[in-house]
Parts: sequence; C-alpha cells; structure tokens
Amino acid sequence: MPFVSLSMTILLFILYLLAFYRLWLMLPALTLHAVLIVSIAIQYGRIPLIGLHETLGFLAFTIGAVAVISGWKRKRDLFSYITIPFILILLAGSIASPAMPGALPPVLKTLWFELHVILSFVSYALFSIGAVFGVLSLLYNEAPAENNQYRSLLLGYVLFSTAMVFGGIWAYFAWGTYWLWTPKELWTTIVWFYYSLYLHARLVRGWTGPKVVWMGIIGFVIVMFTYVGVGLLMKSSHEF
Amino acid sequence: MRNFFLSLKTAVWTLVVLLCLFLIGSYMLPMHRTVFGPMNDDLLFHWVKDVASNNVWQTWWFFAALAGLILLTLNTIFCSIQSVRGKWKRSDFLLRISPQVIHVGFLCILLAHLLGAGWGYKISGMMPEGAYAPLPDDLALRLNKIQVQTDELGFMTDWSAEASLYENNHLVKNGTLGPNSPLFYRGTGIYLKSLNFDRGPAALLLIAKDPGAIWALAGGVLFALGSVTLLALKWGTS
Repeated sequence: MPFVSLSMTILLFILYLLAFYRLWLMLPALTLHAVLIVSIAIQYGRIPLIGLHETLGFLAFTIGAVAVISGWKRKRDLFSYITIPFILILLAGSIASPAMPGALPPVLKTLWFELHVILSFVSYALFSIGAVFGVLSLLYNEAPAENNQYRSLLLGYVLFSTAMVFGGIWAYFAWGTYWLWTPKELWTTIVWFYYSLYLHARLVRGWTGPKVVWMGIIGFVIVMFTYVGVGLLMKSSHEF
Repeated sequence: MRNFFLSLKTAVWTLVVLLCLFLIGSYMLPMHRTVFGPMNDDLLFHWVKDVASNNVWQTWWFFAALAGLILLTLNTIFCSIQSVRGKWKRSDFLLRISPQVIHVGFLCILLAHLLGAGWGYKISGMMPEGAYAPLPDDLALRLNKIQVQTDELGFMTDWSAEASLYENNHLVKNGTLGPNSPLFYRGTGIYLKSLNFDRGPAALLLIAKDPGAIWALAGGVLFALGSVTLLALKWGTS
C-alpha cells in the first residue's frame, strides 16, 4: 500500500506550497502530514521509519516543523524559497521510492531503535535548517542568521549524539556490539567529528563569519550523503 | 612538545585528518571484503594481528586512524586537565565543567573500544535444539526449545528460544532468548541471531563478552549529560 493516496499527496503538496506566502501557513500541511504519519503507524502497528519511502517523508515533515518553529515570524523570503522546495523534493523522493508495508522485522521491534531513528531525523532536520540559515547569512550578511545557524547545529549535534547513544544500546542488545565496522558507522562518525569540529571552531576558537557559516553548509552535504548516499551506494547494517 | 598536545590546532587538524581517513575507509571496507569481512566477527586485536597487519595496502587507513585517535585522546586529556586546573568561579562552574564532562564521556567511549578490541570474546555457531555446548569461563549452554510465531499466511513474525546456562555443571540461569533480548550472565551475553530448519530446528547463536560495554554506556550517558547542559547554558548566547 502506498504511503499516501494520490489525492492526499496532491493536497499535501498544495498545502506546503501555501507556505511560500507566509511560513506559518505551513501548519495545515504539517497537520495533514502528521495525520498521515500517525495513520500509517496505526495501520502497520509500528513507527513509519523504514526505508527511503517512509524516512524521506518523515524528514520532510521534521524539516517543515523545524522551519516553522525557527522562522515563525518570517515573511516571504529566501528562507521559504529554499526550505519549501527542499521539502517538496523530499516528498517527491518519498513517493518515487518503493514502500515497505507490513510489520517491523523482529530485530527492529524495540524502543531503542525508535528513539534512535526519530532523534536522528530530527537532528538531520536541524542540520538542514542550519544550512539554510547559513545561506541567508552569506547572501545578506545577517548576524541573526548566523546565530540561528549556530543554535540549529548545536541542538542538532546534541540530538544526534543522543541518537547515537540510543543506537549503540540497541545494537548491543540486537547484535552483541555497540559498534560495527561498516561504511554507515564510519560516515556517522564523520558527521559527529565534523560537527564537533564546527562547535570547537565556534565556541573555543571564537570563529564567526563566513568560515563557520560555510562549515555549517558543508556539514549538511555530509549529512545528506550519510543518510541517502551511503545507504544507496555502500553495503551497510543500515541499508535502505 | 607539551604545547603541541595542548593546542586546539592539534585537535582541529587531527579531526580533519580523521575525517579524511574514515572517508577513505568507508570506500575500502566494501571494496576489500575478504580483508574487512572478518573485522566484526572476532576481537579487533585478533583481526589486526591475523589479517590487517598482512594486508597493509588495504588497511593503512585503519592504522593511520588508530594513530590519529591516540593523538586525539592525548590532546583531549591534556586540554581537559589544563581547563580544570584554571581559575574557577562559582558563577561559571557549569559552563566550565560541562565541556569536560563531554570530554570524559568521549574518553570513556574510546576506552570501551580499547577494552572491547583486546579483551573478552566472540563466538558464534549453529546450535541444534536440545544441544549442550561448553563455553569459556567454565560456562555451558543448553538450548532447550525453539519457538516460532507465524502470521495467518505462515510467515515468521517472531522467534525465541528457551536456554539454560550452567557454571561448573551447576544450573545458574534459565531464560528466553529472542531478537533484541539476549541472556546475560556475569558480563557474557548470549544472542539469538537467526534460526535454521534445514536439519531440524537450530539457532545461530552469538556468545559475546565485551568488558568495554559498560564503559561505552557510561561514556554515552556522560556525553549526553554534558551536551544537554552545555546546550542549556549556551542556547541564549550568540
């Protein structure tokens, strides 16, 4: 069964498009999106975070939620022009990817897995919005945008770290080890080290301006490759 | 030399080099499966001694990353000591201690990897239902019964196995093994990986003892606590 029916998909696209006018108008889209996610969860009896089809949809939703919270008072500007098309691209990718209906495999039936993936995708959303603020900072030389980027990335880093701890606990119960030498784990470590580097540059060395802003933008590229690229191109314990 | 280990530049450049090495490693792992395949099956030090040291053209990045991690560990220890030894004020106690808690958490995680790489054991194998097998540390395992749950179409939805653990021939623990549900006894975990019915019911089991696991958990908790505290303190600042 597809993630959403065609009519619901079209409605979701239209509602997200409304946010081009005012960002808070994304609320109806997020409400519908949340209802669809919950309905799939009820239908399958599990969190809908398996495979690209479900995770791309969830990432679109979390990016939308983070965008609304962080840009609540924004009018129509570049923030919307970057964020909304990105959400629509993720949704399109979700629809184009094959669905994986049915119950969770037994090894994934644990709260640790659910916490691991939910926090991972919320952190991915924060890293994405951080990159958008980075673009605003570079183009308009906005100090608040740079600060918003820093706050997004700081919160994203904390959630990402916590997600890795939960993932380690899950892996220990499932496979008897909290670490496996696979490309996904190595790239996860790359993301972790990279944002550690960003935070050391920002907080300890006191870097500000384009140098750290660019670091935040490049970090987003690394995150996207870790999420999609590694899963598609390299064999790993986190295959999609 | 002391300044080298204390320098933030050392930390930054070591992290940059580690990023590059892990990137190379992520491409090498799937390209040389015969070399890296056994990496997760045995203790890492055994793999280093038996496989990695004989295939340096493929594993050089791993040894370089190991050297980088040692340098990063020393740098973290030196910087944390330096920071803790500085002048303290009551008002900024949390702000100064939370990054050090994060560092201690990171060091605990590295210590966990070191302990897990060199000590403990990993054994896996197929065990038929009803079989009895000796394990290290004077332990033995009996696999009493394998149970499978199926849906209305006959597809397996869940599975479990009843097992008994003996120490010096005395029963010390009974339990049910299942996915995400190992049986633990004095640091040894018995994991049910999968089932096979080709020659009667049998279970693929992993018996693992990792003395680093508790350090990894402690490190993860410290890292998370320090991070959340730092987040709360830094959230309002630019």
